[in-house]
Amino acid sequence: MARTDLLNLTISEAAALLERGALSPVELTETVLQRIAVVDKTLNAYITVCGEQAREVARAAEKMIRAGYHLGPLHGIPIAIKDNIYTRGVRTTAGSKILSDFIPAEDATVTTRLKRAGAVIVGKTNMHEFAWGGTTDNPHYGTCRNPWNPERFPAGSSGGSGAAVAARTCLGALGTDTGGSIRLPSSVNGIVGIRPTIGRVSNHNVVPLAWTMDTVSPMARTVEDCVLMFGIIAGYDPLDDHSAQVPVPHYLGDLARAVRGLRVGVIRDYSLAHVQRAVGDAVRAALETLESLGVEVEEIAMPSIQGNISAQLTIESCEPSTFHQEWLRTRAADYGEDVRTLLELGEMYLATHYLQAQRYRSVLRKEFLEGFTRVDAFVTPTLPFTATPCGATKVVIENNQEEDMLSAIMQFTGVPSLAGLPALSVPVGFDAEGLPVGMQVIGRPFDEGTLFRLGHAYQGATDWHTRAPGL
Amino acid sequence: MAPQEPVAIESIDRLCTLANLPLPAERRARLVPMLSGLVAAANELSRKMAHAGYRAIVPIVRFPER
Repeated sequence: MARTDLLNLTISEAAALLERGALSPVELTETVLQRIAVVDKTLNAYITVCGEQAREVARAAEKMIRAGYHLGPLHGIPIAIKDNIYTRGVRTTAGSKILSDFIPAEDATVTTRLKRAGAVIVGKTNMHEFAWGGTTDNPHYGTCRNPWNPERFPAGSSGGSGAAVAARTCLGALGTDTGGSIRLPSSVNGIVGIRPTIGRVSNHNVVPLAWTMDTVSPMARTVEDCVLMFGIIAGYDPLDDHSAQVPVPHYLGDLARAVRGLRVGVIRDYSLAHVQRAVGDAVRAALETLESLGVEVEEIAMPSIQGNISAQLTIESCEPSTFHQEWLRTRAADYGEDVRTLLELGEMYLATHYLQAQRYRSVLRKEFLEGFTRVDAFVTPTLPFTATPCGATKVVIENNQEEDMLSAIMQFTGVPSLAGLPALSVPVGFDAEGLPVGMQVIGRPFDEGTLFRLGHAYQGATDWHTRAPGL
Repeated sequence: MAPQEPVAIESIDRLCTLANLPLPAERRARLVPMLSGLVAAANELSRKMAHAGYRAIVPIVRFPER
């Protein structure tokens, strides 16, 4: 098989070939490593490439498969891991200078689960410093770039994971999502990403950003590939105090279930308001596609939704500043300017601001739970705009009005984060400049399965996810 | 309630003292416009949460809820 064909394989397709011996994990891994060597000079999606370790693991995987020991769909699959997730013996910087020499003695639970499933870890991906930001314009490890146009940003904070998956320098990746850090880069890089319900996937041995909102999850080119990874990493972990003892369904088996009769809510004056025209058009077209599959679309009012950005900024300011309190006093000069400023600001809020923001979360959650008596999921764009130029701190959404990037980027993804709900980002088209647009689908607590079904059905009816950047 | 006054540099000085955060003067000054916007938004949210209909609402600081 030609190299290009190998790189375009989905996890599902590669897994089938690997299982029957038609593809070697060594060949697949080597192809991916060579692709990294060629395109990552431009993209800077990786902080650390684990070439030798990956080759060794791939050789072991090949021996096992040849001997008849196939561990499942991730066995021999090249996977990347965001650099705030512990990898035993491999530097884990969280995109920071402060942790630049940190080599964990343990894996994160999610890393352990991927390794046990036979995944080949090819590297640690670039990210916004300490995950506190949405651009992956990293001052210590370099600016990460979008494979659809390297002059544009890959969003963040899991920008390296998003760019790596889209650029075919891995078949899937792990990211982390606090206020949107998986869904934002999934959207602007034209791939799929899921933020799970808090407690569904272990956060053990993951460098925190905001404890009450942090999650870990997969990013891949198809919903099916996300499901294959999610099925491995989801489930109770006694090492994580926030881990939920909720059974994990057989997502893959449910994936093909018809979506006819499912109900999707569009939030009045919110879901399609204040977005770039191309984004609104793409999401409206995606809703029509879902309707053509038998999904019912209903408009629902949600009066409490205004206020979400302030609540998110308050919580996402206070909690990181608590975690970073000591370093901000002893190693302030080692932070990048934007993160240092945000951490300083986080020390300036009152306790009442923080607690009112947490009370707001209760209101928002109740309103969503009430909405879920009428619909099975809600739809919004993932971002109100497509990828902006690297380094931009302002963005124009409509009426030639410049807005602050940090607030604008949170417009849609902050809501499920605050309400503790799962949310999937799926590619639904491109703007006139060829930049991807993503749609966010928000689900009931612990009902990631319905999001996967909707996303999979949508991908079955469209081909956006099959397009590759011309890099 | 009166409109939000911009945050004064003296307020940031006091907050730094309270937090035992030794920020140089130029960094304190840089925080003024940003903090003014953030605090105004946070106060607006606080006013919203003071609504009588929300009196029974308690904060969620732990997910999943138990």
